[in-house]
Amino acid sequence: MMIDEVRTMPAAGQPQLMRWSVVLPGLAALALALVLPQFANAYVTEVATTALLYVVLCLGLNIVVGYAGLLDLGYAAFFAVGAYTSGILTAEFGFNFWLTIPVAMAAACVAGIIIGAPTLRLRSDYLAIVTLGFGEIVRIIARNLDITGGASGLIGIERPEIFGFRLMQVQHFYYAFLVLALLTAFVCLSVERSRMGRAWFYVRYDEDAAAGIGINRVTAKLQAYMMGAVIASVAGCLYAAKMTAISPESFTFNQSLLILLGVVLGGMGRIPGVVLGAILVALLPEVLRGAGTYRPLVTAVALLAIMLFRPNGLWPDKRV
Amino acid sequence: MTLDLLIQQLVNGLIVGSFYALIALGYSMVFGVIKLLNFAHGDIYMNGAFVGLIVFSFVGIWVGNGWLGVVCALLVSMLVVGLLGVVIERFAYRPMRNAPRLSILITALGASMVLNGTALALTGGRHYAFNTDLGFAGIDISTVHITYTQMVLVAASIALMAGMQAFVSRTMYGKAMRAVSIDMGASRLMGIDVDRVIALTFFMGSALAAGGGVMAGAYYGSVHFFMGFIMGLKAFTAAVIGGIGSVPGAMLGGLLLGLLEAFGSSLPFVGSEWRDVFVFGTLILFLVFKPTGLLGRSVVERV
Amino acid sequence: MHFGHAAWMRQQGKWRELMVVSFKRLAKRLACATALAGLAMTTMAAAADIKIGIVAPMTGQLASEGQDMENAVKMAIDAVNAKGGVNGDKIITTTADDACDPQQAVTAGSKLVSEGVTAIVGGYCSGAVLPTLKIYGDAGIPFVIIGANSTKLVAANQGNAFLANSTGDMQATTAVELFKKNGYKKIAVVDEGDAYSSDLAKLTAEAFKGEGGEIAAKETTTAGEQDYSAVVTKIKASGADAVFWTAYHAGGALLTKQLRQAGFQGGIVLGDGNNSPEYLEIAGSAGEGVYLLSPPTVDLLSGAADFKAKYKETYGRDAGAYAALSYDVGDLIADAITRAKSADQKAIIEALKASDLKGLAGEIKFTDKNTLQTSNFRPVIAKGGKWVAVE
Repeated sequence: MMIDEVRTMPAAGQPQLMRWSVVLPGLAALALALVLPQFANAYVTEVATTALLYVVLCLGLNIVVGYAGLLDLGYAAFFAVGAYTSGILTAEFGFNFWLTIPVAMAAACVAGIIIGAPTLRLRSDYLAIVTLGFGEIVRIIARNLDITGGASGLIGIERPEIFGFRLMQVQHFYYAFLVLALLTAFVCLSVERSRMGRAWFYVRYDEDAAAGIGINRVTAKLQAYMMGAVIASVAGCLYAAKMTAISPESFTFNQSLLILLGVVLGGMGRIPGVVLGAILVALLPEVLRGAGTYRPLVTAVALLAIMLFRPNGLWPDKRV
Repeated sequence: MTLDLLIQQLVNGLIVGSFYALIALGYSMVFGVIKLLNFAHGDIYMNGAFVGLIVFSFVGIWVGNGWLGVVCALLVSMLVVGLLGVVIERFAYRPMRNAPRLSILITALGASMVLNGTALALTGGRHYAFNTDLGFAGIDISTVHITYTQMVLVAASIALMAGMQAFVSRTMYGKAMRAVSIDMGASRLMGIDVDRVIALTFFMGSALAAGGGVMAGAYYGSVHFFMGFIMGLKAFTAAVIGGIGSVPGAMLGGLLLGLLEAFGSSLPFVGSEWRDVFVFGTLILFLVFKPTGLLGRSVVERV
Repeated sequence: MHFGHAAWMRQQGKWRELMVVSFKRLAKRLACATALAGLAMTTMAAAADIKIGIVAPMTGQLASEGQDMENAVKMAIDAVNAKGGVNGDKIITTTADDACDPQQAVTAGSKLVSEGVTAIVGGYCSGAVLPTLKIYGDAGIPFVIIGANSTKLVAANQGNAFLANSTGDMQATTAVELFKKNGYKKIAVVDEGDAYSSDLAKLTAEAFKGEGGEIAAKETTTAGEQDYSAVVTKIKASGADAVFWTAYHAGGALLTKQLRQAGFQGGIVLGDGNNSPEYLEIAGSAGEGVYLLSPPTVDLLSGAADFKAKYKETYGRDAGAYAALSYDVGDLIADAITRAKSADQKAIIEALKASDLKGLAGEIKFTDKNTLQTSNFRPVIAKGGKWVAVE
């Protein structure tokens, strides 16, 4: 298995981007995404915006889970860090929305180091529980502090302005999230093929061998963890601006699970698969509206079935 | 803090701690044998409570809502849910045994969500009353009232755990379990039926969790689908504090965590809204500074 | 659909400066096309029927409450239609599920806006209603909130929303009145840390202190947990005369039981989230003599007997806690449209402001903040396994 994996790693002279079987459907999907709001009503656009939000979050978590092989069960915490940083700065201190993004990214980095640096040395299953605990701690802190608006959260977050144009309607946020999703995908594509990305793959498949060839395991893991954190925090900023009101309820363990589900469903480690998984996760509640209290069960069975019967996801890389 | 308050919090800590210990024990045994963090363990505890409630409502018609009914519910639930544990292992975990660790963890998470989702779908999220007639009689130590129910509860969980410790350290099966936990491949070569040992471990761990679930349901008087989530997390914390993989460690960890919570929420300046931060903070500190826990041995990362 | 047009006008005014930067032009063009699509839909929706949106949790843990809200609103609308509708038009309803989740609520809200509804009623969880206020506010749609009652809603209201349920501070006032009547001097307040219960706990603590009372302890528990012994011990040690539990019935029943088991003799008062038969079932004999601040449920309302019977006959289930109020809100919106004499949303909002309705659940008259003038909470007491009115 390990040998296969190494072979699938994009080698020089064989750029992954150039495969037409991926590029053509990708372009078609992009074209569809660009014109969607022109013929869809606000409801469809709203659902599509949620899907794009999950695309960003799942791509971010995919760096942690898919590339570096670290199970993070508290990913929503970084999403919360971004949303609250941006929300507090704009609503309480009157910051410009765009200025809050770098601050939120820095805050996510700090949070990532605080939680990651000591724990990334641990066994991977311990890490899962630590991240879960961390996710809960962030939520409880948001719920108990005054500056975060307590349990009912922040209200009155300003909507961002760009070149004198204010993002107001769902269509505007749709395009904002589309830009963010494309940016994230681009970042993922480039790190996947960078030196850092290759280090992650080695660490994921054989930590000891990776250490043997001179990769610093903890540094590699920390890089992946922080990059995931930063992506979630940027998504959080935009989310706060779109919702105008955020509360701890949006950043629960369930939210972390949903994002993880998106990553696993489509295929861990592969960008097209993760995008597909994210879209499915966003559509799931709409499709399963009639299922009522059976909804969590359907989701759970889907997750378990994928793991048991298609462990590489719905849209795996064919070369594996 | 007055002496009465001290004794009262000690009693509180012991009771909730014995629940934590029972659940932590199952976590610890499964982890010891196959190095799997069984996320579904908290949900097994919840299922145990529900099975117990169903049995209790049936036998209650003949034997009343007293001790006999609770004991029947406890035994039947431990048996049924123990088997459920074996089934989960057989169909969800065994096929994954040689898969990458990440896949096993996500499978365990999926198993947990399936159990939880099934309970939600079947109960519609309702909270069910588990009404017993165990009475409030007991003894008084100055102003602190300790009921006989509370004493029986702590004694029963200590008895269960002592039985488990004896089983693991004195019997052939216990020896096989310990052998598998040290080296699965070598155990197989030595003629140990590894699959059977793992199934047995799951049976015992799940039965203990079910026992804890029935006792909690009967003691607190209510059962609901969500009760396993927090319990699972706290029990895991207890297992880590005590040293994961160690039977006495799980007991010690459970009792310590119970006491920590009871006294932690009486600290001045730390309101009860911060209690869970306190618990998870302890967990993280332990994992960082003493990942082997108080009584655990060091665990080699499986490659 | 009001906002489509408004956005269009705004675009027109700014058109000239847009020509400069090409990025802006692209964005504008997209926005204009959207606005046009919106405009087209407005004309389509302007049929003879008046469409009212119902937003409620139809899935998730609070689905039962949501179903009640939908049923009762529909019952009221059917009655109005049977009498000839409003201004000669029939009212039709469409339901959107918010699942009591902020994200899904936003989706549900934009679904209703896309469908071109004239007005919206519903909303159970404050957390889910909050982010939708902006959507309905920007669209200028009249919105009558049935269940949700956090004071944050009042702050975030853009003028188009109305709270038909008494807000948290009104419940706090009712609670403090009850404390004073029963002679409690020291109160322990316990919540579950969520928006609703911590809001109520804070407001009650402030109100009680303002009346010269003492808050002996202020505790928070974790939802889903079963052991409250540490909190119970603290309450007992604090010497409180009574405990006020502001969260929901599941935790309330456990707390009541454990307080009584530990020998707590003082009074126990519960917030309106405990109005459920499950509370009495789980608390058992420990629940006897406990006070509850109840919303106007059908069992407590003298004039609601017919409604209760008819509801059961129509839907085959008992009317839940918010059924009566939901029925009133259905009436209220029909009444406002009648008085507005058109489906114009600004006129309807004005008409709602001037509402004076004697409903099943009580009087609906709004303050200048669009909240109820009089509290509709009433204290009840558990006697013989049933809630009965306090004399």
